[in-house]
Amino acid sequence: VTLPTVVTPVRRCADAVRAKVRGLAQLLLEGRGTYARAFENLILTLVIFSIASIGVESIPGLPQWATRALRVAEILVVAIFTFEYLLRIVAARNKIAFIFSYQGMVDLLAIAPFYLLGLDARWLRALRLLRLLRVLKLQTHFLETVVEERTRELAEKNAALEKAQAQLKAELEVARSLQLAILPAAFPARSGCEAAARMIPATTMGGDFYDYIELPDGEIGLVIADVSGHGVPAAFFMAVARTNLRELAVHHTDPGQCLAQTNDALCAQNPLDLFVTVFYCVLDPKSGVLRYANGGHNPPYIRRAAGAVESLSGAGGLVLGAMPGARYPTHTVQLLRGDRLVLYTDGVTEAFNPAEELYGAHRLVDEVHVHGGGTPAALVERICQSVTNFAGSAPQSDDITLTVLTWGAP
Amino acid sequence: MNLRIEATGGVTYVEPVGRLDFDAAPGFQEAVERVLSSAGKSSTAVIIDGTGLEYVSSAGLRAFLLAARSAQRSGIAFALCALQPAVREVFELSGFNRIIPVHADRASALAQAQQGRT
Repeated sequence: VTLPTVVTPVRRCADAVRAKVRGLAQLLLEGRGTYARAFENLILTLVIFSIASIGVESIPGLPQWATRALRVAEILVVAIFTFEYLLRIVAARNKIAFIFSYQGMVDLLAIAPFYLLGLDARWLRALRLLRLLRVLKLQTHFLETVVEERTRELAEKNAALEKAQAQLKAELEVARSLQLAILPAAFPARSGCEAAARMIPATTMGGDFYDYIELPDGEIGLVIADVSGHGVPAAFFMAVARTNLRELAVHHTDPGQCLAQTNDALCAQNPLDLFVTVFYCVLDPKSGVLRYANGGHNPPYIRRAAGAVESLSGAGGLVLGAMPGARYPTHTVQLLRGDRLVLYTDGVTEAFNPAEELYGAHRLVDEVHVHGGGTPAALVERICQSVTNFAGSAPQSDDITLTVLTWGAP
Repeated sequence: MNLRIEATGGVTYVEPVGRLDFDAAPGFQEAVERVLSSAGKSSTAVIIDGTGLEYVSSAGLRAFLLAARSAQRSGIAFALCALQPAVREVFELSGFNRIIPVHADRASALAQAQQGRT
């Protein structure tokens, strides 16, 4: 048997014991559990007791038994302080650094006089007052513990907040994709009709939508709408409004009646008092007759083939969802070959630039007048460009939505 | 946005100054609710003076709608007056002028509110 094979297990065993002891010491001194707290309280009590005992000892004519009891107590106190001091050395990662630290020196000074000078040294009593420093040290220690605990609580709260915010953001994303998924991908195929649409959602997400509805007899319903407010409630209300309108449009081919029915349906399921502005029209692709009704929405424009721009400003009704029983008159307009219908939401006309000026209806009318001769897609693109150029670095506070339809294009 | 509130002879005038948009709407709504609940004791009408109101978004309209409803519940006359042309257009376009009375100035709003009471 060679020497290393004997030494290695012994050393390993010693290492394990040392690790265990250090673990226990750390648990007692630095842990947050019941033991650590109890030990800390015990030390503090002993410090206060030993300082008080110095005072009691100095009372003249103290009975013999009391003096003796105090001496025994002093020996016990020093024993416990010594145990604590050694424990701290064991627990310390850097032992030399601990011994020479402020805390280590104070701990040592509290017990050193006893070992150097014995119990009877007359000026020992004065040195024992150094234990006062321990009270201060413990106080600092307590403060540190409290600060540490508060910091930890704060960090936990921050983490919870961050988590909640991430969740909210995820929900907004869902609402936004819901909003986008609801929009129709393509205009129903009809000879002589062509349409294009676009929605640019706002940063805070509004509740704009547009829709094409295939009606009996080959007619096509066209919707553009804007829900009041932002965020998840608006997206939800938009989905409800769109579904209701879609369903009712099939049964009520008169646009005004369709809006009245939709309004009543929305009023009956509107816990948040939201409302939606809706322009709804029905086009007969064969004749070019357009019937429309307006529930508080910006009047669309017709760009005649020659370039003149007219507003579809026939009297409208109240926004939908605000009051049951509202009525919506239906108007009729005859589209001519090559006319374009431009539907939009106020995100277009009420876009702000950094100087806080509105884009305004006049700019929209100009674009429609000058550039409306091409395809619907080209005009939609042109207007969106114009609005985003105008807004520049100003944040987009509302959805921007546009639909352009041409009838009888050659 | 700022609010000027002034109560005289049983009428409370609220004058919002600035833009009533999505961000300003909750504060405005809360302020009007407060006016309405305290007006119950001394005032019989709350009139919104739109002289300084530059812009109303759909969220702002909603605030007006909720205020009008709550005024109706507490039996207080609620009206608007002196709207700037752009704001007036928003009220007409949305049809809100049919559910909330809109007047040219304070005097006619007051006359209408008092007539409605008798």
